[in-house]
Amino acid sequence: MSGKGNKAFTKEEELLLQDFSRNVSTKSSALFYGNAFIVSAIPIWLFWRVHALEVSTSLAWFALVTTASTWLLALAYRNTKFHLKHRVAVRREDAVAREMARKLADEKKMSRKEKDERILWKKNEVADYEATTFSIFYNNALFLTIVILSSFYLLRSFTPTVNYIVSLSAASGVLALLSTGTK
Amino acid sequence: MVTKYLLTIFAIAISGTYAESCQNPRVEANSFTTLDATVVTQIAYITEFTLKCDNPLPANYALYAEVEGRPLTAARVGENKYQVSWTEEPAKARSGVHEIHIMDEEGWASLRRARRADPAAAVAPLLAIQLQHPGSYSGPWVNSEVLATALSVIVAYTALRNKSKILA
Repeated sequence: MSGKGNKAFTKEEELLLQDFSRNVSTKSSALFYGNAFIVSAIPIWLFWRVHALEVSTSLAWFALVTTASTWLLALAYRNTKFHLKHRVAVRREDAVAREMARKLADEKKMSRKEKDERILWKKNEVADYEATTFSIFYNNALFLTIVILSSFYLLRSFTPTVNYIVSLSAASGVLALLSTGTK
Repeated sequence: MVTKYLLTIFAIAISGTYAESCQNPRVEANSFTTLDATVVTQIAYITEFTLKCDNPLPANYALYAEVEGRPLTAARVGENKYQVSWTEEPAKARSGVHEIHIMDEEGWASLRRARRADPAAAVAPLLAIQLQHPGSYSGPWVNSEVLATALSVIVAYTALRNKSKILA
């Protein structure tokens, strides 16, 4: 898309574009990466204390796997959020519009266009917030379940190091892969 | 003449056994059983008892024991003090009262003889000691990993259901 074309967008169109884009704001991105890092680092405790993985010799693996898993999980968060946002927006549309209309009812000076814009903005904000939080919850829940199932049952007979690497990569990989699907 | 001799020998034998066996046995017993089976492979049952009789007992008075059909020897650990011990696998160890039948040499021999004809035969023991095993602790009912798995599966199920609800 050319720079010229961008200039032609009205504020409404920009909002609409933002609404449909896969890009996330810096704040949202920080939230995603921060969360992904915490959730990827938590299994270190599980493998250290429960599976008796030697920490000092596995530091390189910890760093590598945690980084990879953080990146994959953040990707999964983003994709899941993108899929959910529109559905959440559709579900919340009426309620948000009603609430905003009530709030803006006293503002006699405000034009109808601006009111609509505010409603659209609010709708976007609500959908964004709900989709973000749900996406984090959903991916964290599945990630930890897969890690627990694979580390305790599927890969029980392997050495802790192999167990750690395979469990975490598989869990984050599967989630990243699933999030790219359309459903 | 031969009969007379035989009778005499028989009388000596009876008086011999009569003098050796414990008259009016009284017993004081202490017992121990394994209560924590988390790190052991066998449950131990030990009972230590002091035998008191009206008549003095010979120095090496041997005692035998039988617990639920299992033959055991009572070890002499002191002056008129004996110890009976055995082990069982935790899976087979049952809680409750275990009755230990104590017999002297004569009772033991007659039990062996009776068993040869009928494997289920019982002979009245010299004394019986009741050992109470309250059961051993073999870890929590639900393993922490099973609990963690169950909880995470429930949370994951909630997440999946909510997602399909939103996308529906």
